[in-house]
Amino acid sequence: MTEAVIVVALLLVGACATAAVAVRDPVRQSLVLAVLGVVLAVLFTVLQAPDVGLSQLAVGSALTPLLLLLTVRKVRRRAQRAPDGPAGRRGREGGP
Amino acid sequence: MNGWILAAAVVLAAGLGATLRGVVTGPLRRRAAAQNLSTALACPALLLLAQGYARPAYVDLALVLAVLGPVGTLVFARLLADELADDPPHARTATFTAAALGAAVVVAVSVATGPGRALVKLLVIGALLVGGNLVASRALAGGMQEGRRD
Amino acid sequence: MSPRMRLWLVAAGGAGLAALLVAACLDLPRFGGDRHPCGDRAVEASLSRHTANTVASVTFDQRAFDTLGEMSILFAAVLGSVVLLRQTRDEHRARPEPAAVSRPVRRYALLVLPVALLTGLYVVAHGQVSPGGGFQGGVVAATALHLLYLGADYRALERVRPLAPYEAGDALAASAYLVTGLAALLAGSAFLANTLLPYGTFNTLASAGTVPLLNAAIGMEVACAVVVLLAGFLDQAVEIVDEGESGERHDDPGRPGKRERP
Repeated sequence: MTEAVIVVALLLVGACATAAVAVRDPVRQSLVLAVLGVVLAVLFTVLQAPDVGLSQLAVGSALTPLLLLLTVRKVRRRAQRAPDGPAGRRGREGGP
Repeated sequence: MNGWILAAAVVLAAGLGATLRGVVTGPLRRRAAAQNLSTALACPALLLLAQGYARPAYVDLALVLAVLGPVGTLVFARLLADELADDPPHARTATFTAAALGAAVVVAVSVATGPGRALVKLLVIGALLVGGNLVASRALAGGMQEGRRD
Repeated sequence: MSPRMRLWLVAAGGAGLAALLVAACLDLPRFGGDRHPCGDRAVEASLSRHTANTVASVTFDQRAFDTLGEMSILFAAVLGSVVLLRQTRDEHRARPEPAAVSRPVRRYALLVLPVALLTGLYVVAHGQVSPGGGFQGGVVAATALHLLYLGADYRALERVRPLAPYEAGDALAASAYLVTGLAALLAGSAFLANTLLPYGTFNTLASAGTVPLLNAAIGMEVACAVVVLLAGFLDQAVEIVDEGESGERHDDPGRPGKRERP
């Protein structure tokens, strides 16, 4: 049974990591990355490495999405100022 | 044969598998709702694993996930508020199913643990998990910005 | 360098790395076997110093010097991003609009904030007996503070987060780690050797000698570093705007959260 749960976790991590690379839009990518963090933490737990899993949870569940989304917000606001830029059409930014 | 680990494997394969599908396909609202569900389902899975491996210390992972998982969803609800406002996610059935599953797992593990300090910790995790995910899913569904303005 | 050349270089480097990794894997003890030469030694050393969590013993006792390096990496990274994300001459600050967050979210944030802070401290304090430690707990505690941004607005966060103490705390905690190491040296053993304090009772908070001290130093360092790092990102995303951009209002020199960066 312990092997089965390792296989499940490995498959989830493989699928999620592939998706994180395949998704191109940074916002959607950050959503996939947040899920990848959780799945990785589960994999570390079933491999009996809870310390690493805890680090992954602490960093991946809230900190990484926050850093990524704040960066996207800044970049889009800057791109909006020059509307001929490629990202200028996409962003829709209000006050924080 | 360890029933707890089997249950964790089923939750992981069915629950996280489904949320993984939700987070990589479809419109943004579906992806955001799936991200919220992923933490709501992984936390009970971690509790089941801790019980299955008979390692009470592993419960700390579930505690941290129950605290930070909804916070992560609030990050998305806050910073994607404009994108989500046009088309807010309504994953009512899925949210309540995940909440019920979380509550059921917490009750089952609590019964297996018996009274003591570990039980208090489990109940705190249960409250944080269910409450946090209900609030986070409501925030995603447009509940972030309306309401009182003072 | 032409793209073709670069591709060849990557391929050669990748092939070399792959060959070395495969060679290393062939020498590993078999998966699932009962021979764990490194693990056995680490567990023995950790038990002899009354440390229940062997991972904490490895990171803060047996290989404490490596952790010093990791801490310096985080310190340097945060320092670098503070320099990169500072307010430049052609940027100015616009005061962010207050956000109207709905009542349940606000209540949740205010309720969970102390719980999350406590969870962070709990994870730091139990580093030597259960999974966790300074890094994990520090990140949780620092994330907890930012519930104020999520549940209220940026100005509420700035009120409880004057940055100067966090910057000082980051540096102080980093030097506390060094000082603990030097103290061992002064006491007549090696740098960062775990010989200063009694090893205490196994599997209690007061065990493992200097491991809890180093854990606390790392916890404070990481928490302060994450707060400072996120402050740089939040300032850029929320407050600092370019010359041409339309801010809500212009610079307000008397505002308390404002600070000067080098």
